[in-house]
Amino acid sequence: MNRFARDTTTVTVKELKQLLRDPLSLALTIMFPILLIQLFVVIVTAFSAPSYNIAVVVSDLDGSSTSKSLVDKLTSSRLIKVTQFFQTEEQALHAVESGAATGAVIIPKGFGDALLGNRPAFVILQTDNSKITSSTLVQSAVSSSTQSLLELVSARLGAAPVEVILRPISGRPPTGDTFLPGMLGMITILGAFDDIVNAITRERERGTFPRLVLTPTSILSIYSGKISATVVLNAARTTLMLVIFMLTGLVVRGNVLLVYLTTTLIAVFTMSLGLLLSTKIHSSSTLTILEITITFPLFQLAGAVQAPELLASGGRAIAAMLPWTYGNDALRRVIYLGVGFDAIALDFVVLLLSSLVLLPVATLLSKRTM
Amino acid sequence: MSTRTFLSDVLAVMTNEFRLLRRNRTAIIISLVILPIFFTGSLGGASGGTGQRFTPTAHLAIAYVDNDLTIASRRLLDTLSSSGDFNNLVQGYSEESAIETLGTKKIYAAIIVPKGFEDNLAKNQQVSLVVYEDDSINGLGSQVVSSLQTSLRNFSPRAETGPLLAKGSSQVEIIQKGTKFSSFNIGLTIILALVIVFATFYEVAGGMSRESEEGTYARLLMSPISLGAVILGKTTYDLALNIIRTFMVFGLAFYAYGARPSTDFGTILAVSLLIALLTMGFGFVISAIGIGVRAVIIIEFFLVLFLFAFSGFIIDRELLRGISSTISYLLPWAYGIEILKRTILIGQPLLTQTSPLGFIVASIAVFYGTAYVLLKLSRERLVT
Repeated sequence: MNRFARDTTTVTVKELKQLLRDPLSLALTIMFPILLIQLFVVIVTAFSAPSYNIAVVVSDLDGSSTSKSLVDKLTSSRLIKVTQFFQTEEQALHAVESGAATGAVIIPKGFGDALLGNRPAFVILQTDNSKITSSTLVQSAVSSSTQSLLELVSARLGAAPVEVILRPISGRPPTGDTFLPGMLGMITILGAFDDIVNAITRERERGTFPRLVLTPTSILSIYSGKISATVVLNAARTTLMLVIFMLTGLVVRGNVLLVYLTTTLIAVFTMSLGLLLSTKIHSSSTLTILEITITFPLFQLAGAVQAPELLASGGRAIAAMLPWTYGNDALRRVIYLGVGFDAIALDFVVLLLSSLVLLPVATLLSKRTM
Repeated sequence: MSTRTFLSDVLAVMTNEFRLLRRNRTAIIISLVILPIFFTGSLGGASGGTGQRFTPTAHLAIAYVDNDLTIASRRLLDTLSSSGDFNNLVQGYSEESAIETLGTKKIYAAIIVPKGFEDNLAKNQQVSLVVYEDDSINGLGSQVVSSLQTSLRNFSPRAETGPLLAKGSSQVEIIQKGTKFSSFNIGLTIILALVIVFATFYEVAGGMSRESEEGTYARLLMSPISLGAVILGKTTYDLALNIIRTFMVFGLAFYAYGARPSTDFGTILAVSLLIALLTMGFGFVISAIGIGVRAVIIIEFFLVLFLFAFSGFIIDRELLRGISSTISYLLPWAYGIEILKRTILIGQPLLTQTSPLGFIVASIAVFYGTAYVLLKLSRERLVT
């Protein structure tokens, strides 16, 4: 046992030394979190901009004071920018079809009379639905402008009679930081996969792996040493992410040690899978490509961006079979809800059991390929 | 050099590429099978097929806490239950017990109907429904609120009255025009572009870098085959792979998930190949710089991340500001994705999209021209 521990430590130190000597890999280990967070910042900034100025054209066929009020409301919207007025409906619709504007609002003749006579009135809204986010924002702007007009026309009609108020149980304000725990999970997975590429396949390519195996060190010590190195690197990556969380204002409500434990278990499982794959795939570039190929669907399926509970039935079934899903779930619950160990024990068991199944298989297959 | 020799050289390079691919079964499986199936499958798994109506909140256990216990609150429950958006409403929780249970995954949200709900509605006063959400479930709150607001449009507090919408919440109906399509189709445009860019870049830049590392690339450059034939041969080979990939993605989307694009397959294939050509051109430029396979993979990762952030995958380009907007307008793939969306989603004919088409063609020409010059220089260096 002593020897096993000693060999494991030797391999761990060797792995870390090797990484320190490879500036590209070292930079990559640090760049992953920063780059992914940067991507998140771009997305959140775009969604929380004070104004968008999405191009919308208007055709006011009514010309009444009421329709002019609606045009005023549209013009003052922070979401859209009325870029042109057209005399006919066809011209307005053509502006959208040709891509000159994202939306066209047509106020039909008789609009003002209908509204003042307390009869149903309507406006036509044509949107370029290939611009998915913009068209939704245009719909929202037109909807709030008409609501605002109704308040102006008749105090009796007022605002929506049934208002819906959302209250998160954590008490957090509904901010754009919902991706961050998932990002931590994905960075852990990507980092661990990259470690396995460095640890095994590149050694195979250099020819140093057979030499390492031929030393008196057991294959299990080699693997556990490589896993231990990943655990150390993972702790560094998690610390970096937690610092970024702090800078972005995200409060970790649970025990920080549980966050470390969760990312460690995710990393160990990923490493075990990587070890298994590396027994069959000997090229580092092929393994990296496979890693990226697997990673992008994982963003969708393992709960990094959207919770698996909100997926369609097929997606939920796949998500339930992926141990990473349980890791991401544990991260979200610890970070957002501040739950303790007992609430996420099942997630840990799934991750641990999966690793315990994969690791011996990887060791066995690795011995066979020697 | 005669055209015949040139074409036979192109054919030789292309055949060599296919031979190399055939020898590497893992590459074939990843590039032509795993990549398209994983990406399209994950999309279908997440959003359901195009034929089925999928509401993320439909199957979730959501507590309905009725503090009013009136006809109106009962009718609200009926409206929600029959909407198709809330098929698993759970009753029997008090407000306190519902809040306590949230976070345990027994229930995911709780809709609280306040006392005085019916009375206030009768007096035409505003009432508030409170939704408590388990916010460890990403995106749940907005989904529940959105589904609830949609259902409320059809809610009438009493049998003799019409829906609230007609009564006064909005007397201005907004008639929406514009092509409608499922979220699967939206995702499909993203997946197709992603699969093409991802695989093509690695095949071209990674393949050439690997040849450089193995030393076979220098031998190829020193052979009598012209540089143009090498580039064209590799391009033709990769175009063939992209045709297979496009078939794989669309075949799966069409037959397994019922995707029905608004344009014909020929147009989709043409746009896919344009994006592939663009990526190949960029790949040639990168490989001409003479970097290793690992660096190529890092660039590929950055490229895909850039596409996610700046090319309209998630956010429309119009919504980006400052440097993000500039990057987006300079990124040629963004124009390809725009064309893909406008053809697949709203059926706009390809040839009417002259500006983005022109930008892509110009970018392809610039990439290939730059790659040709750089490769020629490296060949001259090898000779001298």
